[in-house]
Amino acid sequence: MRKLFSSRAVVTIIIAFIVIVGLIAGSNWWAKRTNQPPFIQRFGNDLAGGVSRVISVPTTAIGRTANSIGNLLDTFEENQALKSKIDEFAQDKVRLQTVEEENASLKKQLKLEATLTDYKTVSAVTISRSPSTWQSQLVINKGLNSGLKKGMPVLAGAGIIGRISEVNTTNAKVALISDTSEDANRFAITIKGENGDVNGIVTSFNREKNQLIMGQVTSDNKIKSGDLVETSGLGGVIPSGLYVGKVASVSKDDYGLSKRINIEPAADLGNITTVVVAVSEIGAQ
Amino acid sequence: MAFWQLTRLRVVYPVVLVFLLFVDGSLMAGMGGIFTAFPWYILPTLTLGWLFYAVQFEVEPDVPLWLYVIVIGVLFDMYYTGIFGTYTLAFAVAVAVMKQCHKVLDERLLSGLSVFLIGLVSFLVVTYVAGFIIGIANVSLTTFFMFEVLPTVILNTVIVALCYYPTLSLFQFLR
Repeated sequence: MRKLFSSRAVVTIIIAFIVIVGLIAGSNWWAKRTNQPPFIQRFGNDLAGGVSRVISVPTTAIGRTANSIGNLLDTFEENQALKSKIDEFAQDKVRLQTVEEENASLKKQLKLEATLTDYKTVSAVTISRSPSTWQSQLVINKGLNSGLKKGMPVLAGAGIIGRISEVNTTNAKVALISDTSEDANRFAITIKGENGDVNGIVTSFNREKNQLIMGQVTSDNKIKSGDLVETSGLGGVIPSGLYVGKVASVSKDDYGLSKRINIEPAADLGNITTVVVAVSEIGAQ
Repeated sequence: MAFWQLTRLRVVYPVVLVFLLFVDGSLMAGMGGIFTAFPWYILPTLTLGWLFYAVQFEVEPDVPLWLYVIVIGVLFDMYYTGIFGTYTLAFAVAVAVMKQCHKVLDERLLSGLSVFLIGLVSFLVVTYVAGFIIGIANVSLTTFFMFEVLPTVILNTVIVALCYYPTLSLFQFLR
């Protein structure tokens, strides 16, 4: 029988395997430690971002058209449901404006400069999205030049979708919350329960159910499905009060000692054409 | 270089390869709503399709294929994931597997498609295993095959089949 591999080939394969595993593990470790990629990588990414920007024009247009056609089909029912909600929102908006003004004047009296709820926003357009199994990342058209930093939260539509994972000069990458790498979704959140708030962090994302998981919760405060979840602002970089989602269910962890809270994220992670990066005024200082 | 040389396969091939790398990303961003509609997770892999055509239509003496495989893998890792190695390996393994299969199977369309299919599955499996190495894999193997590999294979095989004969004529014209 003909030998499938020569001994030289086997040695080469083994060495190649070790090198590749080392490269994957090493670059992953390096990416976590540094705030910015090395100059060559940044330069390459800026160049690639430029090409991507041109190519994304027609594909984004096609995608938008497809979405518009999809939306058109259920416009009538949606319109009726939205009309009933709109009056409610107008009232809330007026109230919010009054409260904001009051809040600003009270802060002035107390001589408070910036608190956890103060943040500026930088809006950006998605130019690409990694077509990869893991590391689901977006590439957006703002970077170091617009003052973005690694770790800043990114919002789209209804709520938070992830955080900045890499900053190049003219573009940046956003790691989505659906990604389980540690940088992507470990942010401090708070749940507005009936008898008090429950604080904790997002510990993982269940891709099979499309839910965020807040694990190791030992608080006795009652939480029920439908309770609102928002960022707590603890930790500094992420401002408080960003909408994350709603509680879907509460279960015991594997050992029965603490609670595990499953959260339905508010933002749609599929269609993300424009995003808003929230720059905390305290974290940016 | 005279102008007519720009229309040679060895010039056109790498340009299209890099172009398709960015098209994959743009498609994923533009059509994300359809491709990642829960529970599905479909990846456009036009780049791998273009590499398949190179294997199937035997461009090797004109085009330094392995060099391009490595370059495109490194570019992919740098631009899309920021972690080096995963996609360089995945593209290399997929091309190696497709080359081996191409030796065994004949030149017909259906045999060609099965070569691409095997290459694409190996590509996806390598990325799945790499996810385990750095501890970011959060989907069971069954879900991965049901909701990612299966629809990805269907979509991309259809695209590759549709472009098969046009690409064949293009390669013959450029050679």
